[in-house]
Amino acid sequence: MGIGYVVGVLGGAILAHAAYATIQYRAVLKITEEEFSRPPMDVMMELLLGLVLCMWAGLAVPTKFLSVLPHSDENRIVSLPANLDFMIFNHRGRALPSDSDLKLHT
Amino acid sequence: MAAAVAAVAAATTAEDEARLLRLEEQAEHGGGGAWDYLCLARRLRARRPAHVLRVGLALLNNASARSGLASEQWTLYEQVATAAMDCQRLDVAKDCIGVLSKQFPGSTRVARLEALLFEAKSEWAEAERAYTQILEINPFDQIVHKRKIAIAKAQGNMSLAIGYLNKYLELFMADHDAWRELAETYVSLQMYKQAAFCYEELILSQPTIPLYHIAYAEVLYTMGGLENLQTAKKYYASTIQLTGGKNTRALFGVCLCTSAINQLTKGRNKEEEGSELQRLAAEVLLNNYKQQAPSKAPLISSLLKNMKLS
Repeated sequence: MGIGYVVGVLGGAILAHAAYATIQYRAVLKITEEEFSRPPMDVMMELLLGLVLCMWAGLAVPTKFLSVLPHSDENRIVSLPANLDFMIFNHRGRALPSDSDLKLHT
Repeated sequence: MAAAVAAVAAATTAEDEARLLRLEEQAEHGGGGAWDYLCLARRLRARRPAHVLRVGLALLNNASARSGLASEQWTLYEQVATAAMDCQRLDVAKDCIGVLSKQFPGSTRVARLEALLFEAKSEWAEAERAYTQILEINPFDQIVHKRKIAIAKAQGNMSLAIGYLNKYLELFMADHDAWRELAETYVSLQMYKQAAFCYEELILSQPTIPLYHIAYAEVLYTMGGLENLQTAKKYYASTIQLTGGKNTRALFGVCLCTSAINQLTKGRNKEEEGSELQRLAAEVLLNNYKQQAPSKAPLISSLLKNMKLS
């Protein structure tokens, strides 16, 4: 979890730096009176790296991935809930001794 | 009408079951997690009345813990009351219902609990009367309709219970619990054809739950006949697929179906994929026993040999 946050912050910082570098590049172009077509290659690479890091952090930080397979332990159904809406009370439990000191103190 | 249809209860997964048992152990030995345990038991609709009663009463009798629950404490009173009735501790149930009726006078939910108390005392006429009064206010109260079915079942009047269930399902045909109850009732009366129909409905509405597939397969296997056995084998196979081969009952089912089909057809019209399936099922079954119960592995081995499957 900790490494995810670090990677996220790093990705954000890289994206911010790429934005700053682009602004600087445009300022230089204004001085040299050249036409802006696209950011330089190093900024593009920086953007891609920042995107990858941010995406990785976004997926890793919130929680662990759950399996979509029906037979994995978190999805494998082992029993159905007791049908409590149709529950009846005249069962063998009546004959069992119950804990007499269980009382509701009001 | 759509709003009245009951929400599907989540089936219990292996992970949930393990967590419930862990929390139960923890709560029983005073290691905390009592409220988490009670919430999970409620969410999974697990019927563990003795534990719920003990753990729930411990929470309710602790004033600071109870006040910490705020409005959730009333849900706990209801849960403990039901558990107390299930354990035949009618005095505790009466006390809990008393607290609730003082807090919520004229509440339908409390009225249902009072009627449930009549049921626990086996005062059927009183319970019927109480439920009829609730139905006069709200004729589409599903829980009350279900309780009337439960009363018939508790009195041993299965034909009446089936009649009520069929009427109920005409009104609320998307209620999976009712279909399941009807299927189980039919099976208990050995009315397998009708039970098979109910399981078909359940498989159509919830195709990813392997327990319906296996129940349907078992009903078909019990009915017998070549066509039923072949269909049963397919449903056992689908159970194996949905459980990742972890359902021993389904593995046995495939072996038994294959053996029964071979006996009926006297070995003719053997399908190639069928023989492959039975071979794999027998292999997995034997491996499972070798890993988990080595002492019983020779028994399984000889059983499969007798069935001519290995």
